Amino acid sequence: MSQTLLQLTSIDKCFGGVVALREARLHVRAGEVLGLVGENGAGKSTLINIATGLFPPDSGIILLEGETVSFSNTRQAADAGVMVVHQEADLFAQLSIAENMLLGRGLERGPGGLINWRKTNATAEGLVADLGEQFNVTQDAGSLTVARRTMAEIAAAVSTAPKVLFLDEPTASLTVKEIENLFSQIERLKAAGVGIVYVSHRLDEILTLCDRVTIMRDGATIETRKKADLTMDTIVSTMVGREMATTNAKRTVPIGDVRVDIDGITAKDGSFSDISFQVRAGEIVGLYGFVGAGRSEFAQALFGIQKPAKGRVCIDGVPLKMQSPRKAVAQGLAYLPEDRLVQAVFREHALRSNASVTLLPKLSTATVIGSRKEHALADKIITEMNVKAASMEQPIGTLSGGNQQKVIFGRWAATEPKVLILDEPTRGVDVGAKAEIHKLICDLAETGTAIILISSELPEVMAMSDRVVTLSEGQVTGEFDPQSDDEATIAAAAVPRSTEKAAAAISPLKRGIARALQMRELGLIVFIALLGGYMSITTPDTFANTGNFLDILKNAAIPAIMAQGAMLIICAGGIDISVGSMMGLVGAFAALAVKAGMPAPVCLALAMAMGISFSLANGGLSLVARIHPIIVTLAGLSIYRGVMRIVMDGKEIMFLPDGYRALADGAWLGIPKVCYYVVFVTALTHVLVRYTLLGRQVLALGNSESAARLIGLSKTKLTLFVFGCSGALVGLCAVLNAAYYGKVQANTGVGIELQAIAACVIGGTNILGGRGSALGTLLGALLVALLYNSLVLLEASSYWQNIFVGGLILAAVVVDALVQRLRGAGA
Amino acid sequence: MIQRLLNNREFILFSVLCLLFAGFSITTEYFLNLDSLLSYSRYWVAPGMLAVPMTFIIATAGIDLSVGSIVAMCGIILGVLYRDYQWPIAAACAAAILSGTAAGAVNGGVSSWFRIPPLVVTLATMTLFRGVAFGLSKADAISNFPPGFKLLGNGDLFSFTLNGSPVFVPIALGALLLTMIIGGIILRNTWMGRYTLALGENPVAALYGAIPVRGLTLGIYTACGCVCGLASLFYTAVYGTARADAAMGLELEAIAAVVIGGTRISGGQASVVGTLLGLLIIGILKYGLDLSGVRSQYVVIIVGVLLIVTAVFNEWMARRAGESK
Repeated sequence: MSQTLLQLTSIDKCFGGVVALREARLHVRAGEVLGLVGENGAGKSTLINIATGLFPPDSGIILLEGETVSFSNTRQAADAGVMVVHQEADLFAQLSIAENMLLGRGLERGPGGLINWRKTNATAEGLVADLGEQFNVTQDAGSLTVARRTMAEIAAAVSTAPKVLFLDEPTASLTVKEIENLFSQIERLKAAGVGIVYVSHRLDEILTLCDRVTIMRDGATIETRKKADLTMDTIVSTMVGREMATTNAKRTVPIGDVRVDIDGITAKDGSFSDISFQVRAGEIVGLYGFVGAGRSEFAQALFGIQKPAKGRVCIDGVPLKMQSPRKAVAQGLAYLPEDRLVQAVFREHALRSNASVTLLPKLSTATVIGSRKEHALADKIITEMNVKAASMEQPIGTLSGGNQQKVIFGRWAATEPKVLILDEPTRGVDVGAKAEIHKLICDLAETGTAIILISSELPEVMAMSDRVVTLSEGQVTGEFDPQSDDEATIAAAAVPRSTEKAAAAISPLKRGIARALQMRELGLIVFIALLGGYMSITTPDTFANTGNFLDILKNAAIPAIMAQGAMLIICAGGIDISVGSMMGLVGAFAALAVKAGMPAPVCLALAMAMGISFSLANGGLSLVARIHPIIVTLAGLSIYRGVMRIVMDGKEIMFLPDGYRALADGAWLGIPKVCYYVVFVTALTHVLVRYTLLGRQVLALGNSESAARLIGLSKTKLTLFVFGCSGALVGLCAVLNAAYYGKVQANTGVGIELQAIAACVIGGTNILGGRGSALGTLLGALLVALLYNSLVLLEASSYWQNIFVGGLILAAVVVDALVQRLRGAGA
Repeated sequence: MIQRLLNNREFILFSVLCLLFAGFSITTEYFLNLDSLLSYSRYWVAPGMLAVPMTFIIATAGIDLSVGSIVAMCGIILGVLYRDYQWPIAAACAAAILSGTAAGAVNGGVSSWFRIPPLVVTLATMTLFRGVAFGLSKADAISNFPPGFKLLGNGDLFSFTLNGSPVFVPIALGALLLTMIIGGIILRNTWMGRYTLALGENPVAALYGAIPVRGLTLGIYTACGCVCGLASLFYTAVYGTARADAAMGLELEAIAAVVIGGTRISGGQASVVGTLLGLLIIGILKYGLDLSGVRSQYVVIIVGVLLIVTAVFNEWMARRAGESK
């Protein structure tokens, strides 16, 4: 019955010298739920990542249904039927939840390959309903609660009928009811013969759900047993049961008065609540809990990085201002963060500057750093912490993990803190350095520092602490004496249970404001109507007549077309500020070509081809060199304009032939010809962005490069595509502009890039990428043209126009930033 | 040894500079005239001054596109206050510097407070400040500044005799060198400079290292605005007029000098000495090409191409260094 699906044997994996997996193995059978448990850092995630193709093992064999496989990416693994739902999925926050679910696996498409949104949403809704859930799948994924995102992810993974499904801490943010639904779905999959690997710290769940349980410790698979042979106690003891290193025995240090008094501190986002305990001078309090227990969040709140909702902390009786790390340090608090590479180390900078960064102002006289003092400090840290380095000028990135950590430890010890919070101080550190760090912790305690030691390694906590406080699901679950209480008791207190989690309260007012600000198109129409109404009343003669309206449309036309190209580039996460110069240059070439007797349509084609090549050069260069497109296009802005001036040789190109001018000049059915181009281009980009797979992939790339890579999108291809589109539109505009005005001047196209960018951001395109609308952009361009027109009619000096473009861009991005913040607070 | 020299940025730049110098000396008549070279150096003063705070900004992985517009705006404020409101020239100068500082504070404040990338903020303010310049001046050029003020542009600090002919050292050049020295000291020797580099290297670690990230960002952009105000005085004095369309493209020259000088656009590594060498390379190139009769359009193109080439080169070098570790 229980046929083997996936088998991993003898898997080894090292990360930069740190062993993550040693001879690890995993054996998944069809139609069973396999529990995978272990402490943080035991190697569970690494094993999952190898099984699902995120990275290859250093050595070892992976068999899928008896065949050897080696996946080179997650996409291949998914195609072969091995899927994973990660704890915190990397997703496209500004795309709907339905799209997130289906983008990588195929959106529903109708005639002509266009996306059928109704069907797509219905499919997504159906998948979610299969899980017993019901929610609006058309909302942005970013505005959904973590629980619902997880459910949607699971639903999407299930929909592809996987053979093996890894669920990594799926219930971390779910409520009891959601967990029940999830479990019944898992039972259904199991009945259908899927092999499910269920990773969780919640042992009660493991014991209810799983048929067999694999226990990992220190990168190795310790054992796999049937559920019937296991109890919570046996699991816990196997998980933590390692021999204690004898070197890290704690020295006894006299314990003094209370140094830090933590009273009822509660997080804003619900990650921890009502934490209270005290630490005395010279005392080491171990804070033990699993990932998601709120340990780091708690430390960060004290350190002033995330302000808590309520609670009070006093250091030596003085209330701690939890506002910024700087203030915290000034009051005698120090925090050694958990993620050394991301949060502590300045990799390419010298060991010396890494060591001194927390004390720089103190080492300085009149802001000038005392070189001798700095060297003395670095020397002292190297000697006292026993850092092995060739020189203090060596970049810290070239040291081993343990030596890096000693430098960081020294950096904080040198501030002579009253209270020191150590967050996983020995993670990724070899055994020798670990013992040394333990000794240093004791040394510091001896000087009267109160120490909070956060660790997910129970033996370390047991050996080092005078007292252990356990944290589970953001709450203190007990206080223990490591001398008298045993490991199993403490571990059991820290194991999370499935409890109803209170969702963070969302202020309906804030949500309402955010929603109102999001209805950008409607808002723009209202605004345009109001401005138009005001103008009709104040200057009825000059404003409210057909001639003036047509003028506004004509003036809006060229920027509106350019803006569609800019919108595409911005959606993909780029920017091009050279389009104005490019338009001038292409226009000059095309005008010269037509004057040389080339037929107008050929010139148009030529212009578009030129625009495409220039634009591809911009995009291509920034991709190849991996530099931000702003640098390339800033240089391009000057280069194109310079070439244009050389080509034109100080003269205007005038008297363009009538056949050429007929491309844009004049009207058709009483409406200026340029307007037809605008409608055509807008319709085209609208369909592209809204209804084609390519357009959605561009938005996906702009939302999250890493998530886009996970579903197999090519950044190069998509970037070149948007630059190419923009280039074609630049070519078109170059011809239209020349044909419309009948000439090309040295300053043709100057500043049009800003009008285009303004139209985009006013129209609701996120300047950081990932969200954009063709209609909004059109309305944005109309609004800019209307404002210009009104200013002229109100006899405000036309010189103030620039202020409006700049001000509008600024206002639009600030409003967007505020909306994001409101939504962030709400979600 | 050779390997080490080749990896030393300043050495490469210095060699390039020497090559340029030698090349122009051979090909171009009148190039080797120190007095005219120094006299020409007045035109580098504004971009050179801007390149100093720009070095700091790029060191934090930021960018400021609005510097040229701030210079133009400050010049116009100076001119309008002097001509239309009859302010004493010294007061008008002070007002120009203050306006520049305020403009910089707007850039830094908006981008650090609302966490909007400086690229976007300064792209918008580039237009905004230029608009203020146009609005205040109504596109009218302002000249007739008093002689005392013009000294900033055409005055000389001191002169000496070389091979029998006098050589004059402009005041403006002195001011530029002073700015460079102060900037260099701040970046190399003070905690502010060290914080700047740390912020560019790893912004998260900077926050956890108790560096006041917001205040630092605000301070750097504000200081940049202040230097823009200062540069506007010299710019206006050198050209003798304040115009709303002045200093167009100055941001490109400043950024190019910084990037050519070896400061990485991704932040964390910067050197004011490098920036000075970058500025000299651009300056000598412009001067030499100018003397050779090459039109200014070509010079703009060359500066643009140099910027792209060195940016690509910098990233390539950094990646190679990363791989060899």
